[in-house]
Amino acid sequence: MSFLRDTLVLGLIEAAPLVLAAVGFTLIYYLNGFINVAYAENITLGAYFAVVFNSMMGMNFYLTIIPAAVLSGGVSVITYLIVFKPALNRGVGRTEMIILSVGLSFFIRYASRLVFGADILHFDIVSPSYLSVFGTGITSIQITALALVGVISVGLYYFIYKTNYGEMMRGLANNEDLAMISGINPTKVSLLIWFIAGTAGGLAGIFYGVFSFVSYSLGWNLILIIIMITIVGGIGNVRGALIASVGAGIIITAVTLITKPLYAEIALLIFFIGVLKAKKVWG
Amino acid sequence: MVELLSGYVMYSLSYILIFVALATLLHLQFGLTGIVNFGIVGFWGLGMYVFGVSLLQYNFPYIVSLILATVLTGVVALALGRVILDLDNQAILVATLAFATVVRYIVTTEKWLTRGVLGLGTVPFPFDLGQYSQFGFFLIILLVTIALLLYTYKLGSSPYGRLLASIQDNEILAQSLGKPTFREKLIFFTITSALIGFFGALNASVEHFLIPHVLTTGVTFTVWIALILGGRKRILGGLIGVIVTIGVLDFIIETYAPIPTAYAPLVPNLKYMIYGLTLMLILIFRPLGILGEKKSTKILKVIRKL
Repeated sequence: MSFLRDTLVLGLIEAAPLVLAAVGFTLIYYLNGFINVAYAENITLGAYFAVVFNSMMGMNFYLTIIPAAVLSGGVSVITYLIVFKPALNRGVGRTEMIILSVGLSFFIRYASRLVFGADILHFDIVSPSYLSVFGTGITSIQITALALVGVISVGLYYFIYKTNYGEMMRGLANNEDLAMISGINPTKVSLLIWFIAGTAGGLAGIFYGVFSFVSYSLGWNLILIIIMITIVGGIGNVRGALIASVGAGIIITAVTLITKPLYAEIALLIFFIGVLKAKKVWG
Repeated sequence: MVELLSGYVMYSLSYILIFVALATLLHLQFGLTGIVNFGIVGFWGLGMYVFGVSLLQYNFPYIVSLILATVLTGVVALALGRVILDLDNQAILVATLAFATVVRYIVTTEKWLTRGVLGLGTVPFPFDLGQYSQFGFFLIILLVTIALLLYTYKLGSSPYGRLLASIQDNEILAQSLGKPTFREKLIFFTITSALIGFFGALNASVEHFLIPHVLTTGVTFTVWIALILGGRKRILGGLIGVIVTIGVLDFIIETYAPIPTAYAPLVPNLKYMIYGLTLMLILIFRPLGILGEKKSTKILKVIRKL
C-alpha cells in the first residue's frame, strides 16, 4: 500500500515539470510539424537564467521564475526567427528539420557550457521545510511547484481550446492557406506560440533545476522522454500530453522504486513502441 | 619512421577510418534506404562492449569475440528493427535514440559485466608485431573500410541497390510491384547495424581501454554531420565529411594549432558549436552536402536514349 502511495505522489512530482515541457513541445510540433530537439536547450537555459538570478544575483527563488521564463520564451522566438523560419521557408524536409534542430541544440548546449561552465550549479534556497502527504515525505518547494504547474497547465489548456489565439493556432496548423485566407496573420500567431512554448520549457527547466541541480545537459537528458510523451499523447494534443506525462512520471517512479533507473529507461522504450504499435493497429 | 608508424598518428588515422566506415554505413541506411538511425553509438558501443567483455571477462579468443560482437549486435538490430521499421521516420528516430541511451545505461550500471566507469582494459591487438602492431592493425582497418566502400559502390548500381533506393523514394509503389519492402529493409538494417557493431569491436583495439564515457550522443552526431556535410546521397560523402570534421577539427587543429593552454578547455566546446553551426548552414543552403546530387546512373542514361 505504501508502495502505491509513494509511486503516485512521487510520480506526480516527477511528472510536474514534464507536463510543462511536453505541452510546450507539442505546441511547436503541432504548429510547424517537426520535432524540435533544440527545445532541450530552452529547458536548460530557463534553469540557467533562474539560477544566475538566484544564486549569483541573490534574488529570491520565486521572484526569479517570471523573468527567467520570459527570457527563455525570448530565446525560443529568436531561434524560430533566425533558424527555423528561414529553413521552413526554404522547404527543408521534415526529417531534415529534426537534424537541423539537433545541430542547433548542440550549438546552444556547448555555447552555454562555454558561458556557464561545465560544473553543476545549485539553487540557493533557505532550507525547505519537509511535509508529509499521506505519509510520503516531500519538500515545500515540490508542493509549490506542483501547484504552479497545475495553475499554468490549466491556463495553457484554456488558452489553446477557449481563446481566439488558440483557435487561430489550431487553424494555422491544420491548413495554413485556409487560415491565411481567413485573415489570420501566420507570423504573429507563430511568434506567440514559440514564445509560449519557450516559456513553458523554461519553467520546466527551473523546476527540474530546483528539484536537483542545473547543468548544461539538463534539457538534453529530458528531451527524449518529452518527445516520447508527445508522440504517445498525440501531436498537438494538450490533454494527451498531460495524461502521457503523468503516465511516464508514474512508470519512471514505480520502476525506479522497485529496481534501478536502467529498467525505467527500457520500460519507457517498450511502452513507447507498444503504444505506437497499438495506435497503428487500432487506428 | 617508427614514431610515425606507432603512437598518435596511427591512432588518429585508425580512428578516422572507423568513422569513415560508420559514415558510409549511415549513407547506406539513411542516404540510400532512408532509415533514420539516431542510435549509431548504441550499436557501435554494443559491438565494442560485447567484444571487450567476451575477450577480457570470459577469455574467448580474439576472432571469436569479434564474430560474437558482430552477430550479437545484428541480433539486437533485428529485434529492434522488427518492431520499429514499419513506424514513421520520426518514431524510428526516437526509438533508435532511446536504444542508444539504454545501451549506455547498461554499460554504466551493470558493473559486474562491464566494470562500469572503472573501465575495461587492456584490449590487446590481435597479433604481436612489436612496435609495428599498431601499424598492422591500421592496415586491417584500412582493408575492411576499402572493402566496405567497394561494396557500397557495387551496391549503388545493382538491382538490390535500386530496390533499396525505391523503398526510400516510394515504398508503396515498390510494394505494389510485389517487392517485400519491409523484409528487405529489415535485413539490410540488421546487416548494416551488425557492421556498425563490428567496427565498434575494432575500435576497442584502437582505444585499448573501454569506458562508458566514450558512448555519448556526440558519436552519433559526429557521424551524422560528417555524412550530411559530405553528401548523404554519395558513396564518398562519408569519407569527405569525416576528413573535414574529425580529420581537420579533431586532430589537426586540436593537436597542431598553437592554442595557449589556458584556452585549451574551450576547444571541445567550440568544436561542437562549429559542428552544430555547419550542420544548420548545410541543411539550409546545400541540403545534399559538398558533393551534391548523385550523377545519373547508367540505366537512366539508357532510358533517356530510348
